[in-house]
Amino acid sequence: MTVPVTIVMIEDDEGHARLIEKNIRRAGVNNEIVPFRDGTGAIDYLFGADGTAVVNRGKPLLILLDLNLPDMTGIDILKRVKENEHLKRIPVVVLTTTDDKREIQRCYDLGCNVYVTKPVNYENFANAIRQLGLFFAVIQVPEAE
Amino acid sequence: MPRTVTYKPHWYTGQPLLVLVGFLVLAAIGATSAWLVFKSQQDAAAVADSVQVQYDLTTQQARIRRTESFQRGFLLTGEDRILRQYEESAALVAPAMARLREVLASDPDQLGRLEALAPAIDAKLAELAETVALVQAGDASGALAVVRSGRGEALMEQIADGFEAMREIERRDFADRSRAARLSSLALVVVTVTGILIILAVAAFALYVVGRTTRQLADAHAALATANLDLEARVAERTADLSEANLEIQRFAYIVSHDLRAPLVNIMGFTSELEALRDDAFLRLERLRAQAGDEAGQDTELAADFTEALGFIKSSIDKMDRLINAILRLSREGRREFRPEVIDAKALAEGIGASFAHRLQEIDASLSIGTLPSLETDRLALEQVFTNLIDNAIKYRRRDVPARVEISGRFDGRSVVYEVADNGRGIDARDLERVFELFRRAGAQDQPGEGIGLAHVKTLVRRLGGAITVRSDLNKGTTFTVRLPRRWLPPTHERLQEEPG
Repeated sequence: MTVPVTIVMIEDDEGHARLIEKNIRRAGVNNEIVPFRDGTGAIDYLFGADGTAVVNRGKPLLILLDLNLPDMTGIDILKRVKENEHLKRIPVVVLTTTDDKREIQRCYDLGCNVYVTKPVNYENFANAIRQLGLFFAVIQVPEAE
Repeated sequence: MPRTVTYKPHWYTGQPLLVLVGFLVLAAIGATSAWLVFKSQQDAAAVADSVQVQYDLTTQQARIRRTESFQRGFLLTGEDRILRQYEESAALVAPAMARLREVLASDPDQLGRLEALAPAIDAKLAELAETVALVQAGDASGALAVVRSGRGEALMEQIADGFEAMREIERRDFADRSRAARLSSLALVVVTVTGILIILAVAAFALYVVGRTTRQLADAHAALATANLDLEARVAERTADLSEANLEIQRFAYIVSHDLRAPLVNIMGFTSELEALRDDAFLRLERLRAQAGDEAGQDTELAADFTEALGFIKSSIDKMDRLINAILRLSREGRREFRPEVIDAKALAEGIGASFAHRLQEIDASLSIGTLPSLETDRLALEQVFTNLIDNAIKYRRRDVPARVEISGRFDGRSVVYEVADNGRGIDARDLERVFELFRRAGAQDQPGEGIGLAHVKTLVRRLGGAITVRSDLNKGTTFTVRLPRRWLPPTHERLQEEPG
């Protein structure tokens, strides 16, 4: 029996976080969602007290990342995750408001797996999140090494 | 600090006057010299006359004296040879008198004196002739008696005195005339030298004035050049300030629109959640009423109120959503980097015209494109400007006449000017500036739109280094004038810093 995937949601807007959670649940995804409202908390969780991320070894994780954070940019987190030998295979889904071409390119260059722009219209937003949830339900997530 | 360059052309207009003065001086010198030369000649002639008269007077006196001598000789000797000499000499006196009269014709005083002497001379000659006749008749003693009478002596003395008096007057005249002649010559020299000096002075002054004018012109040119440089520097400074301000506004718009979107998604999201909750709540309420045995449909009014409130919230959100999107689009457009290239504006306008062809045909409108000068600018931006202006011209046409849109262009110094004119409904003078403002629209609000087109066009034209103006007659038509630089001017602060998502 494999350990269920934990979704690490890094989103500074509480409302968005709640809406994302609700819509993911509506897609039938019941995995644990660990929410963080800032970058520091998320970094502590991902890399542990010693900063080596050994703490998460053997855990299947999926990161849902907003780029706009109060204490750092999501890009910094993405970069650190992809540079860490234990976390580099974790799928990172960037979910943000920016649709700037250069920003998207930069994220993929840094190893982001999926880049989703938050639709401005709520119907589309809800729809996108539900589809993302369906996507989460079917993808294979490797364990952190 | 504002600087004014003034140029006073006072000296410049004075130059023809100088030339005139020089010419007048020359003419005066010429006339005076000519007159003085003439006068000198006259004076010299007068001097010569005096000398001639003196000479003639002396010769005449001598001739009479000689005639007398020959008479005495004949009286003494009776020789025919001397008689002939006497006769020859006597015959010469009358013609000499006639010549003297001629010479003295211009001098009535002297002539008067000569005429007064003439009887004495005639009398002297008669006395001489008488004695000679007496000798020839053999009356030598009679002749001697005549001589001895002393009458001839007295006459001769009278003649000598008269001639001497006349000579004296001539000598005086000679002195006067010589002085006058000297004075004339001196005056001629003085006038000529003075004239030359005046001409030299005028020429020197003219040279000085020309030099001064040239210097003033050169100074004015230099001042103008400096002022131009200052002006360019100031313009560049202002442009830099403006670009900076523009950049700030774009950044601001981007951040605002971006950050406004996040809460809006929440409002929309939780409004949808509320709707879902309402449905759940009313379902539950209905069930409870059914369990309690109440009549169905008692809460219809309550449900309608809920729907109305949620409807208003949702429509307002939609509206806000559209506005924010518009701002975002504008700011994104403001961040786009321009790619300047040489563009055949006519071909570009015709291409846009072709894309409107179907719509134009539908509403029986016409679009005419005149000769449009080419320029170096961003193709997409120019396309958007033309498209927006043509679209507006068609959109705001009058319903009672077929719409007519005319695009024309011309070079104007370092700029090109394009005009898009229509015969549409026009814009009220009060609204002329407003039409360029974001979210502002003028006239009857019967067309869809957010009031972005012209604000966008104005921003674009400004970023291209140009300007757009509008003039309009209400109910007659509107003309938009777009002025753009012929050559691409690199914008000062074009690049925006990257905005973190």
